[in-house]
Amino acid sequence: MAHQMHAYHMVDPSPWPLTGAAAALLMTSGLAMWFHHNSMLLMTLGLLIMLLTMFQWWRDVIREGTFQGHHTPPVQKGLRYGMILFITSEVFFFIGFFWAFYHSSLAPTPELGGCWPPTGITPLNPFEVPLLNTAVLLASGVTITWTHHSLMEMNRNQTIQALTITILLGLYFTALQAMEYYEAPFTIADGVYGSTFFVATGFHGLHVIIGSTFLIVCLLRQIKFHFTSTHHFGFEAAAWYWHFVDVVWLFLYVSIYWWGS
Amino acid sequence: MASRLLLRVLRRALPGGGRTAAPARAMSVGGIPSDEEQSTGLERKTLEAMKKGQDPYSILKPKGYAGTREDPHIVPSINKKRLVGCICEEDNSAVIWFWLHAGESQRCPSCGAHYKLVHHDVPH
Repeated sequence: MAHQMHAYHMVDPSPWPLTGAAAALLMTSGLAMWFHHNSMLLMTLGLLIMLLTMFQWWRDVIREGTFQGHHTPPVQKGLRYGMILFITSEVFFFIGFFWAFYHSSLAPTPELGGCWPPTGITPLNPFEVPLLNTAVLLASGVTITWTHHSLMEMNRNQTIQALTITILLGLYFTALQAMEYYEAPFTIADGVYGSTFFVATGFHGLHVIIGSTFLIVCLLRQIKFHFTSTHHFGFEAAAWYWHFVDVVWLFLYVSIYWWGS
Repeated sequence: MASRLLLRVLRRALPGGGRTAAPARAMSVGGIPSDEEQSTGLERKTLEAMKKGQDPYSILKPKGYAGTREDPHIVPSINKKRLVGCICEEDNSAVIWFWLHAGESQRCPSCGAHYKLVHHDVPH
């Protein structure tokens, strides 16, 4: 049997990049079909194939790393770089929406009444549910740090407890935000205020849901003994992503909810 | 409850606070396995070799040698000869290529640095 002389992982051929590309095509063309031809079929199919691709691809990564031992130290280092670069790209994604918000709010046009918030908009009180949301996410940052330390100290029970609390806090945030969206006195159609508010907070909410899902996967893996006290990069990646989501919320809170009111 | 949680996190954050030496058989104590117990495949091979001070998969940076007769550049090879490309001076764009054979150390035809072939085991 031929053995490699290096510590890197030459991945076996896989169909998931192709199915992922197919899903992207179906979702984008499906979006156009939904907008213009009153059909959600293509988009729904695209979404389903995307979810299946993600599930199977990442299941294979877990098989390769945890069950087959392909994630040597250099491979892990590469995964770390990858996650950091991905999060950096997401930071720039949000920078765009903050740019849009500040562009419109720093120099409000006459159509808005020359003021911010624009005439007719009653913004949400930043010291009510938004402040609670801030506390919830900050607390989840503490509990995820507790989780990490418990993991490194080989304490299984506390790792599981702390991670569960982190996830519950994340779900609590999502539920509170959903309620706020339902009860808000303004909509996305209410001028540039509505657009900037709901697009920025909406994408943030989507990232909270993604982060919570990532954490739930980590919880399941932890329960199934995948992580060791020194090798648990999947969890570290989830924790980095979760802290990023928290930091984006802090910027949202200070800029849109507080200064923007 | 919250203050107890906070105290726990703070205690962990302090250097050496709350931390005990990780036992080899961690599953019997805390419930989270160690790499020693659970690593497998190539990862396990690299970790075990590192514990013995070996680097069969060339993970670490190659050591710097003086290149003199007493301290020649050590060139590991699984065969009896290996190509060497000598960049005599930093930023030289003309690389001096030559075959290095097993046996006595050879010198770069341009700058005279010494190179010695050393057998490197194929990792199994």
